[in-house]
Amino acid sequence: MNTASFGRKLTGLLAAALLTAGLSTQALAQKSIKIGNVEPLSGPSASVGVQGKQAREMAIEEINAAGGIKSLGGAKLELVYADSKSDPTVGVSETERLINTEKVNIMTGCWNSAVTYPATQTAERYGIPFVVPVAVRDTITERGFKYVFRIAAKDSWWVRDQFRFLKDIQEETGQKMKTIAFVFENGDWGTGFAEKWRDLAKKEGYQIVLDEPYPSTATDLTPVVTKLKSANPDVVMLVSNASDAILLTNTMAEMKVKPKAIIASGGGHADPKFLENVAKNGLYLFDEVEWNTDVNKPGAKATNEKFKKKYGYDLTGESVDAYAAMYVIADALERAASTDPKKVRDALAATKLTTGPAMIVSYDGVEFDENGQNKNAGIVIVQVAEVDGKLDRVTVWPKAARRAGYTPVFPANK
Amino acid sequence: MTAVIQAVLNGAMMGAMYGLTALGLTLIFGVMKVVNFAHGSLLMVGMFSAYWLIKLTGMHPYLALLVVPPLLYFFGYFMQDLLIKPVFRAERQVREPLTVIIVTTGVWYVLDNLALMLFGAEYRTVRTAITGTSFTLGDIIVSIPKFSGFVISILTAVGLALFMKKTRTGKALQATSLDREAANLMGIDQYRIYNHAFGIGTAIAGIAGCVIIPFYYVYPSVGVVFDIRAFIIVVLGGLGSIQGAMIGGVIVGLIESVFSQFMPSTWTEAIIYAIFLVILFVKPSGLFGHKQDW
Repeated sequence: MNTASFGRKLTGLLAAALLTAGLSTQALAQKSIKIGNVEPLSGPSASVGVQGKQAREMAIEEINAAGGIKSLGGAKLELVYADSKSDPTVGVSETERLINTEKVNIMTGCWNSAVTYPATQTAERYGIPFVVPVAVRDTITERGFKYVFRIAAKDSWWVRDQFRFLKDIQEETGQKMKTIAFVFENGDWGTGFAEKWRDLAKKEGYQIVLDEPYPSTATDLTPVVTKLKSANPDVVMLVSNASDAILLTNTMAEMKVKPKAIIASGGGHADPKFLENVAKNGLYLFDEVEWNTDVNKPGAKATNEKFKKKYGYDLTGESVDAYAAMYVIADALERAASTDPKKVRDALAATKLTTGPAMIVSYDGVEFDENGQNKNAGIVIVQVAEVDGKLDRVTVWPKAARRAGYTPVFPANK
Repeated sequence: MTAVIQAVLNGAMMGAMYGLTALGLTLIFGVMKVVNFAHGSLLMVGMFSAYWLIKLTGMHPYLALLVVPPLLYFFGYFMQDLLIKPVFRAERQVREPLTVIIVTTGVWYVLDNLALMLFGAEYRTVRTAITGTSFTLGDIIVSIPKFSGFVISILTAVGLALFMKKTRTGKALQATSLDREAANLMGIDQYRIYNHAFGIGTAIAGIAGCVIIPFYYVYPSVGVVFDIRAFIIVVLGGLGSIQGAMIGGVIVGLIESVFSQFMPSTWTEAIIYAIFLVILFVKPSGLFGHKQDW
């Protein structure tokens, strides 16, 4: 640590000491900047939690190897983990522990919307900046909080982007879609999507010919598919879990239901089991994801390869946002030149990140609106296609991220 | 109109398979007066057996019918012999053996959790030669796996009815079902007959497993989904009645398929229960049930 930085810290310490004695002793003792992480590391969402943890660790290693936070004398970043077990109560108490006992400077996490929602509220109360990579519930950044920033797209944007894509692809191919059908699982997720679909479909002038919820545990989806067949829509939009996505796709093939486009919403359709079990029945289906391994962005391929070599599997949408979040934090600390939560918060609010390793994300950059939501966050649409005799998920939208040399098949089933 | 005919056809096909899942339950109840709560789990065992057999050997799904049901017959046979019989013996004086219900519930939990330990909670489907295939009759599309399932279900029910009428064991099963003490006095070994009843009931769950696996998925608690339907069907059709189970199954299948053409499919569940309650009110013994004298 050089003397200039030490001096700056000492000044900071003295200033802070006048206000709060508690916070200041920690500032002096600090050699690394602690980032608190609340993640589901055990329990039902553990696999996603671990993916996010590993992506963060890779980013931190890179940042530290590149010299840490230079404006703070090359201070290193350090991750402190807490397991939320996907439980909101645990998430809140762990957030409090990280802030009060571990004295973290910044918080991040928590993947589950249900955990993130109260955890961010806790951090807001303590005035600790909270960078949320993924957790989609809209309201997380709609409470007028000052210390909460979200990298990923929110729930309603998933639906927005499905319709944006639909509009763009029609313009690109000169095809006009008129009728639309909604088929969705009748849980929180499906009904939430459907509500927003209806609004947007009406606004865009589509005719809704079917609006059909189904129970996820249905033994037979033929009744739903029969209805779909008589409705004969141009476009079918789906929200399904893994098992019913498979059931639905195979039943549609059986019943020869061939709409011009099928647009799924991730979830079950993005499950690795899906393609394995539907094979060619899933051909030309569009699906929506946060990120895909083939996105045409500089460095995406190399980063994915590095990650795969290290941990043995591909990056996912969740892990890419977690990876980017670490660079967003580093960038803010660099500009803040301080670990004072208020200053870090202001630096985060002024973020305008469009270059660097974080930009493997599918969208153009990170810039927060007044609520702390990344204005640029978006989603990619992939199409299931046969490439070199193998079924693959090919990025088709946004056009800037489309896999080089691929032309989307639209409409399918001509 | 086409849609309605299509729905009727699908409902009948699916319904016959629901009937098949209920058949073993109704047989065991008819003979032993035991509500086999493990029935869904036995179906799950049948589905997993079929799944692994098809997945590992790549055999045609219906060839598995030669392996899985016999396997499950012995599974059921010994389950009754080793677990249920001792309880029956201990409660010889009891007309309605309640403890046995707890035994079958225990088997349900053990089997489901064992499957969870061995195979994990994920959904598994196996892509067979006939998955997603169909043929057409004019405008009507008939799914091959479901049509085959329908035919096999009907054959199984007819086969079971013939077995009950024509064979010695079948007659012994019927006799025990009518009056276990009298049957005992006529020289029928009650517990051996129970072994057969449980074995056959379990074997039928095995047939159902083979028929369902080409188009559905399997996971450790899949039994619950079919179990609830099977219970409704058995009570609807009349406890212990083979034709009652099949017709009850088709009724449920038809409601599910036809009604959902006119309303959101999430409602049909409620309608099935409503009709079930009405029938219980009008004819408590079920459509084809005898008035129970025990």
